[in-house]
Amino acid sequence: MSKVFVIDVARCSGCHNCQLSCKDEHCENDWRPYAAPQPPTGQFWCRVTDHPRGTIPKVKIHYIPVLCNHCADAPCLRAAENGAVYRRADGLVVIDPEKAAGQKQLAEACPYGAIFWNEELNLPQKCTGCAHLLDHGAKVPRCVEACPTDAMRFGEEAELADLLRDAVVLHREYGTSPRVYYRNIPGCFLGGLVYDPVEEEVIIGATVTLTLADGTRQITQTDAFGDFWFRDLPETTAAVTIEAEGFAPKTFFDLQTAGCPNLGDVPLERA
Amino acid sequence: MADKFTPEEQNIVSFSLMGPESGGPCLVDSNRGRITRIRPYFYDKEYTDEHCHPWTIEARGQTFVPPDRVTITPLGLGYKSRVYSPNRVKYPLKRVDWDPKGERNPQNRGKSKYVRISWDEAAQICADELRRMRDTYGPEAVLCESDMHGEGKRVAPSHGCPNRLLALMGGYTLQMRNMDSWEGWYWGAKHVWGMEPVGEMAPNANLYPDIAKHSDMLLFWGCDPETTPLGVVSHMPSRLCYWFTDLGIESVYICPDLNYGAAVHADKWIPILPNTDAALQLAIAYIWITEERYDKDYIATHAHGFDRFVDYVLGKEDGVPKTPKWASEKCGVKPWTIKALARHWADKTTSILHGNGGCYIRGPYATEPARLEVMLLGMQGLGRPGVHQGKMIEWNMWVRDFPVPYQGDFAPKVPQICDCLRAVDGDLPDDIDMRRYDLNDYQKEKAPELIELFQKLPAPKQFIPRCMVHRAIVEGEAEWYGLHCFSSSQQPDKNGNRKPTNIYQFDKIVYPRPGLSRVHMIWTDSPCNVTCWNNGNLFTEAYRDPSIETVIAQHPWLENDCYFADLILPVATKHEMSDLCNDLSSGVYQSVYMTGPCCPPVGESLTDFDVCVKVAEKLGPEYVRAYTGNGLTEADRVRFFYAASGCEDFMTWEEFRKRKIYVVPCKPNAQELPAGLFEFYTDPDNHPLSTPTGKLEYCSTDIEKYMPDDPERPPVPHWIEKSESHDERLSSERARKYPLLCMSNHGRWRMHAQCDDIIWNREVETMKIRAWDGYQYEPMWINPATAAERGIRHRDIVKIFNERGIVLCAAYVTERLIPGVVYVDHGARLDPIIPGWLDRGGCINSITPTSMTSKNSTGMAVSGFLVECQKVTQEEYAEWSTTYAEAWNRPLDHDAGVCLAGWLTDPAMDEDPTDGVRCLHDKAGVPLGSREPHVPDKFAKEA
Repeated sequence: MSKVFVIDVARCSGCHNCQLSCKDEHCENDWRPYAAPQPPTGQFWCRVTDHPRGTIPKVKIHYIPVLCNHCADAPCLRAAENGAVYRRADGLVVIDPEKAAGQKQLAEACPYGAIFWNEELNLPQKCTGCAHLLDHGAKVPRCVEACPTDAMRFGEEAELADLLRDAVVLHREYGTSPRVYYRNIPGCFLGGLVYDPVEEEVIIGATVTLTLADGTRQITQTDAFGDFWFRDLPETTAAVTIEAEGFAPKTFFDLQTAGCPNLGDVPLERA
Repeated sequence: MADKFTPEEQNIVSFSLMGPESGGPCLVDSNRGRITRIRPYFYDKEYTDEHCHPWTIEARGQTFVPPDRVTITPLGLGYKSRVYSPNRVKYPLKRVDWDPKGERNPQNRGKSKYVRISWDEAAQICADELRRMRDTYGPEAVLCESDMHGEGKRVAPSHGCPNRLLALMGGYTLQMRNMDSWEGWYWGAKHVWGMEPVGEMAPNANLYPDIAKHSDMLLFWGCDPETTPLGVVSHMPSRLCYWFTDLGIESVYICPDLNYGAAVHADKWIPILPNTDAALQLAIAYIWITEERYDKDYIATHAHGFDRFVDYVLGKEDGVPKTPKWASEKCGVKPWTIKALARHWADKTTSILHGNGGCYIRGPYATEPARLEVMLLGMQGLGRPGVHQGKMIEWNMWVRDFPVPYQGDFAPKVPQICDCLRAVDGDLPDDIDMRRYDLNDYQKEKAPELIELFQKLPAPKQFIPRCMVHRAIVEGEAEWYGLHCFSSSQQPDKNGNRKPTNIYQFDKIVYPRPGLSRVHMIWTDSPCNVTCWNNGNLFTEAYRDPSIETVIAQHPWLENDCYFADLILPVATKHEMSDLCNDLSSGVYQSVYMTGPCCPPVGESLTDFDVCVKVAEKLGPEYVRAYTGNGLTEADRVRFFYAASGCEDFMTWEEFRKRKIYVVPCKPNAQELPAGLFEFYTDPDNHPLSTPTGKLEYCSTDIEKYMPDDPERPPVPHWIEKSESHDERLSSERARKYPLLCMSNHGRWRMHAQCDDIIWNREVETMKIRAWDGYQYEPMWINPATAAERGIRHRDIVKIFNERGIVLCAAYVTERLIPGVVYVDHGARLDPIIPGWLDRGGCINSITPTSMTSKNSTGMAVSGFLVECQKVTQEEYAEWSTTYAEAWNRPLDHDAGVCLAGWLTDPAMDEDPTDGVRCLHDKAGVPLGSREPHVPDKFAKEA
């Protein structure tokens, strides 16, 4: 038995239900021996991070809920003394609220910042996967149950295999083998709008060529609004050439995709 | 054996904040008399698919099916924080310097603090004051401020209980709700297409299946499907939007802000300056007319007065052709984008979606864009498959059939007692039935025990539109046109039709009416005028007017208008009482459910109904008998209301009591109903609109007949740059001093004024920003370019101001807003530093325009008005915090902000008198835990 979380970023509307329901469950509710009460505010065992990118009007936002990764190779487990952190049969990594008292190094051990230090209780605290509920009849943790778009799933790794195929983990380089997987985290984008300043008309069907630093090229055409978009780009340097029949082509160099450049409304001169 | 992991008790409660419309069910667990958790309700907990007949929409090879649970929203999930808020009124309070037998000090309302008194004393004062008013001035001297929205209580809702008692005393002056979320539709669009009751498209049966099958493009015009539905519907609109994208339907958002829907669903965002949509619409019409890109055959058979419209658009009437270039200067959208949008729209089967609010429907001259929108839809064959005006909220309202096919096989009808919005007798003809809450014959037969409770109480004899209450009080008189009744009160006939009411918009009404008193006392159960209505600062002035001798508020929380009350009566929340709710709106199934008290009432609070019973007891036993329908208890009401609901024909009371919910099976053939206005589209002669001509009126017959010379709402809609009511454009002289347009949406983290104190929402930066001084300010969105011009950085404390006052906020610098604009959600709780002038709570409506939608359109204009904004200087900050130290230093709760302790003469008095209820915060509003009390002058340097 090994449970995983799978979060589809393309289906997350940023409603924060997961963050809220986590607080509703744990703030000032005492679920020892699973977890001591979370303070009323200030800790985020599940936190929705928002990622606005681009410039007006080509602005996109995606949200990534982050929680304890219940890592297969959990640094907190290694840092724990006295068996204060344990892995359950279902794979959830739990801090024992009694044994962990005073073990501040646990909060520091987590590279993801998912463990919080409770000064008042002298205790490190984090997401338990709502183990106290799972052991008493619940099928999923509160955050998953509250997700209105089913962007967040929890279940047996084998049963979620289809969803895991193209999933990634956050900061793979930490090497902790997280058990919280993400799908559809968007890459960088680049966009603009092409128009004819003389006629004050958008140019539909202009050919836009994107060349990345590694020499790979992508070609698209401007749409009915004169817009072009390149999506899911890696962080790199790029050049864009815009060509339309009857107009002089225009090229933009040294575009840093990391900033999700918006070339704005690009006027093309008559050839 | 019970352990702490198994709830001792599980109840069902509504998570909607739509008032008596109840809304979706959530599960509330309690242990030892305290709420443990709030969860979505799972339909498969008690019911099988065999019972429910789940609906399915099929389109373009894909299916859309309902989820297994209600899609609860953050406002419902966080409600535990609201029940145990340090902002609760826990016992009756009296303003310390208000003496009903001596000096009343009206000038100190909003300033002076409160002392705790007993229920006995509070009820006695109320009864004495009501009697004194009646005997001295006549019953109309009492203004009852009581209308709609509020918590999702049904049987005896949060608004309207005082009206019944006042009616028993011989009458009162009614505060009539204006069409607050539909101003432009009601006062404008109705004159194009009728559409009782509010001027938005109806019927809207089967709309979303039709859109899924036939639409190519959706224009979300000022619509935010990720915001306004949260307090009203659920997250079902969100699921629908994702599905539409999956189907390949293009989502285009036209709004000044990248709203929360646009942020995740938009294929294209067209930013537009607030409240300039009419210019864009006229230019689209210009392109369609000059390039012949509209449905001429349809116009020939379905439209009236189109030539007059063409003359205006082409400039034959006023010499100004409404070209894209002309429009671009006004609305900020580039001419090439306007043309592209116009042509793309003409090429693609397009529907327009709304969600109440947004940038133009509540602005100055909102009638014009509303009318123009309907006209544009008409030019593309409104009613054709895929061509509709749809809504992302209020799927159940006003119509028999729903746009999403979850409607029940039968329509349950849970009655409710309070008829808080009704017409004055004689103002409307008898055949327009404006009594929402009578028992029908079926209900009388099934629940005869209720007949006495529903005795016909006399109607009030005068009313004041809510958007004019302040002026009426300050000036002692008022006159206006129309608004005889909140129009959605009109009961449909057996076929679901309502009588047209357009012509009543042209009746002049006055206050006070001949022989009746002006107002000298206010009893409010919806104390949010300062933060939800027009020119809140004028409301402050009105509440402090010497003519107002007594102000009574009954409310669960000490907020907004409560600060101006002389007496505050504590009300229990929906989680602390029994109720019978009616979910028509949450969008998975319809249901009727019994809510139980999840915890004892906080403090000495009572239900809305029982607050009035307390007062009735002091008026005499005959009042108690009449008010309670001969002693019916809360439990009796739930029992007999169930009998009246119609559900008992399908499920016995015993069974219902066990399950606590009856899920209504879906109507199997809902998707066979004609979608939207399809019948009008195919056969306008036999399915006419309710306009005088039965057609889409591009030139209004009624306006031409009754008010042909109104420059602000002419027979053909116009672009109105400025006129006598409003001068709120960037072209104005005023814009030299106030060069920014302020827009105000319905809040993402609030339902109007509700839920500003959910501590976990307040940790989200788009809800509150904790500035350097530790105070959690309301965010003010501003574009980086506009901010840079003013030296404003993210999280700076800023002031937004105009001639009407100053509001403090914290800057949220973002690319999500068009330059030249600032944006603040409405509904933040007032924190008056200089009452009527300077607010620290971010209550943006305190500086909105006073004038109506337009001179003859009795609505409010609360979005799209001129302001300036600046960073608050250290000198200013020091001056305010010292000169107004008492207000500035009122104790605040670290997490919840303004709170009860801040308004007590002795904060230590805030002792929790109840047993078994442990508040999230301790006695003096200090958060449990190790933190210091949050006193402003000791603010730590928190980042």
